[in-house]
Amino acid sequence: MAVVLGGKNGIYLASFAGPTPPPVLDPDAVAFLTAAGITDPTIESAINTLVVDMKTASIWTKMKAVYPFVGGTATTHKYNLKNPLDTNAAFRLTFNGGWTHSSTGAKPNGTNAFANSYLIPNVNLITDYASLHYYSRTSESELATGRGTAIGVRSTNVTVNNNLALIPRRFDNFSLFNATFTGVANELAYYNPETSGAGLFSGALTSLGSKIYKNGINLTTVNASANKNTPNLALYLGANNDKGASVIEYTLRESAFAGIADTLTDTETANLYTAVQAFNTTLGRQV
Amino acid sequence: MIQVGLLTIEQKDSLVGQLCAPDSYFNPIQDINDNWIISIEEMEFCTVEEFMWVKGLPLIEYVPKPAIIENIF
Repeated sequence: MAVVLGGKNGIYLASFAGPTPPPVLDPDAVAFLTAAGITDPTIESAINTLVVDMKTASIWTKMKAVYPFVGGTATTHKYNLKNPLDTNAAFRLTFNGGWTHSSTGAKPNGTNAFANSYLIPNVNLITDYASLHYYSRTSESELATGRGTAIGVRSTNVTVNNNLALIPRRFDNFSLFNATFTGVANELAYYNPETSGAGLFSGALTSLGSKIYKNGINLTTVNASANKNTPNLALYLGANNDKGASVIEYTLRESAFAGIADTLTDTETANLYTAVQAFNTTLGRQV
Repeated sequence: MIQVGLLTIEQKDSLVGQLCAPDSYFNPIQDINDNWIISIEEMEFCTVEEFMWVKGLPLIEYVPKPAIIENIF
């Protein structure tokens, strides 16, 4: 224990420095860590910084589901950082099929793995606005004719194919944010060739159209004036929810962060990337 | 080559909606020949006593059903 004495004119001040107190964590970080039963100090610090960074960047409120995939098990990976209750209404994930859970994230097998988020864009996001975010640790393109939807849903509330889907690197090296509402190609943002499926892929539906981002940088913007009535079924992670009747387009991309939000601006998307990259760097799993 | 576990229809029916491990559900699907299969991961990571028999399922090569692509996008 250090003792410091000082003063003058006969007045002495003393302070006693005891053991360093534990850091004060953000209450939202504490709620998540408690729900997931995580006590690892490195993960605690990373989660706390992630929450603080998102709040500082004014994107916390816009995020409706945040899956940081820490702790290495399905039980720790299922919780939504925004609302860490073990309920469908809190957008807690339900894992199905072949997932591998580890300290580096949650990896679907590209064959039959998906997770239900229970988040319905048409109900749980601001009407006609949405953004999807998936931090992929897997670089390779999807196998064979695989489309590899990281986060997606297809419904029929407007047209035959009312899509909202983020595809980081398809079999033919296309990257797409598929926000089509009349089934025509010019309503989606895409680019090719994508040479690496690793990084933070984001898609945003704006008042003007669709945007796709990689690592916080807007790569393609498509203006479309179609009726943007977002799907009325739940978004799946690791595959595409096909009209609530089947699951299609399984991906093999390991995720070290995923998020579903109201539309983020270019600056907010860049700030999200900065926060997520710092988060994963702290955990030693950045790409 | 991706290998998967081959199920009978009765086995498939018994797995639908069931946990294979904490917070992880089985998801039997059909391959190109309409065989019902589960993944190697579900077999390997299964911890539910009632379904430990999946670890002994015969393995076959997985060939997916062809994707239905209405257009390139």
